[in-house]
Amino acid sequence: MKPISAMALLFVVFLGALFIYVSEDIPDFGDPYSPANRYVNLHISIDVGADGLEDSLRAGVIPEELSSRIKARGFPSPSETEYSVEEVEGGWDVLIAKEELLYPEPEKYYFLKEEEEGNKLVVYRYSIPVRWEEKCEEEIGVPNMVTAGLADYRGYDTLGETTVIFTAGIAVILLLRRRGKL
Amino acid sequence: MIDWSFGGGIFIAKYNYWISILLMLIGFYAMIAKGNLLKKVIGLNIFQTAIILFFVSLGDATLGSWGKGVTEPIVKGTLPWAAGGIVEHGVVYANPLPHVLMLTAIVVGAATTAVALALIIRMYEEYGTIEEEEIIEKERELGV
Amino acid sequence: MNGKKGKIWEENVIIETITRLMVPFIQIYALYVMVGTEGAGGGFQGGVVFAASIVLFTVTFGISKGRKRLPESWNAALNSLGLYLYAGVGLLCIVLSLGAAQYLNYAALPLSQIMSPAHTRALMISDVVEVGIGLTVMSIFASIFFDLAWKGEGKKNKDKNKGDKEVQE
Repeated sequence: MKPISAMALLFVVFLGALFIYVSEDIPDFGDPYSPANRYVNLHISIDVGADGLEDSLRAGVIPEELSSRIKARGFPSPSETEYSVEEVEGGWDVLIAKEELLYPEPEKYYFLKEEEEGNKLVVYRYSIPVRWEEKCEEEIGVPNMVTAGLADYRGYDTLGETTVIFTAGIAVILLLRRRGKL
Repeated sequence: MIDWSFGGGIFIAKYNYWISILLMLIGFYAMIAKGNLLKKVIGLNIFQTAIILFFVSLGDATLGSWGKGVTEPIVKGTLPWAAGGIVEHGVVYANPLPHVLMLTAIVVGAATTAVALALIIRMYEEYGTIEEEEIIEKERELGV
Repeated sequence: MNGKKGKIWEENVIIETITRLMVPFIQIYALYVMVGTEGAGGGFQGGVVFAASIVLFTVTFGISKGRKRLPESWNAALNSLGLYLYAGVGLLCIVLSLGAAQYLNYAALPLSQIMSPAHTRALMISDVVEVGIGLTVMSIFASIFFDLAWKGEGKKNKDKNKGDKEVQE
């Protein structure tokens, strides 16, 4: 074989071995609770030893300590904006209303769950597609979630992409118009 | 004989990852080792397709759908001819976010391929060949 | 192939008839896919199917007849019309709400006082934005195809053709 073919084959085998090494972090195929589909563990936890914690969560108040720790990580903290706490199966949902000009509606942000071992209350963070799936019909009125995401939730990216296509067309014109035809 | 649950189900449970890795390595080898310029462009395309396939397969949620499988991310029951306009409940949708991001990636790949083909046509008009080694020899003769 | 000075392709009755029948239906399907709100589809997908119909026509009938259907003087206008529509709607949202709304927030148009904001957004997405994207994509892909396939009479090609004739004789 040519020397560059042998070197390329060795390089490709080495790259394949690297991919095997990182394959344990990839989520299973079809996992509904992977971080891309549902929520991510933030590793902020608080002891459930205090008695008033569950009652205060049912009444809709989040303890100050949790809010400050969430804020220290850089996420929007519930104590500074309007928030509400709902109880769903397995935990509590925290809905935060961000300050937007024309659509200040509360959206699902955090999910508090009780872990068995050690009696801790752990904070999870919802990923964005959860809100898309639930609010797409009433906010935008388009049944197709992919088009609603492309043209409204992520409309700025689509503007940039149309510019990319336009630039590719101009580049081909500049390269290939023969002399005297442009 | 072979313990397929090795490492928490690395081989069988993640077969989408292995298929896309195989395609990716084939495309990568074609980009490096082939001498013809057109085969390199085809290798680039295969590489891109493998990445797009892997990313879209991350948004599947079949294991949590009670054996029925997931549907595409279009809200069911609102098309005019379906069940009188009643929204169905209990339907599990696939994640729409990877589809949105990969539409952009497909389009960018097509634009890149178009400009690469235009460059190959110009190189053929200048040098008369599209083999990489002959082009390098001609450049060496010109005294660069 | 260098020695014969004959025709490059022959006329084939079956292919020409079938192509002439299929091209309008492909274009109607492309318009159906371009409205991506009730079923699968979107701007990019519809634009590419439309460009595919132009490519089919050109491959069957020759490049001169294909260029007559999509003339070069339309090229500059159609290429940029989609982009103007999209960016223009965004600027319109800022201007019409006197600086209170963001770029591309369709609920700030005065149309949302008549219909609900959700209906306004659906109308703008499916009728203005997607059609704009589809026009740009269709025109660009057709222009790229015509550029890659045109065998022009530039300086280099003239020299090559002269060289061939001398070798033959």
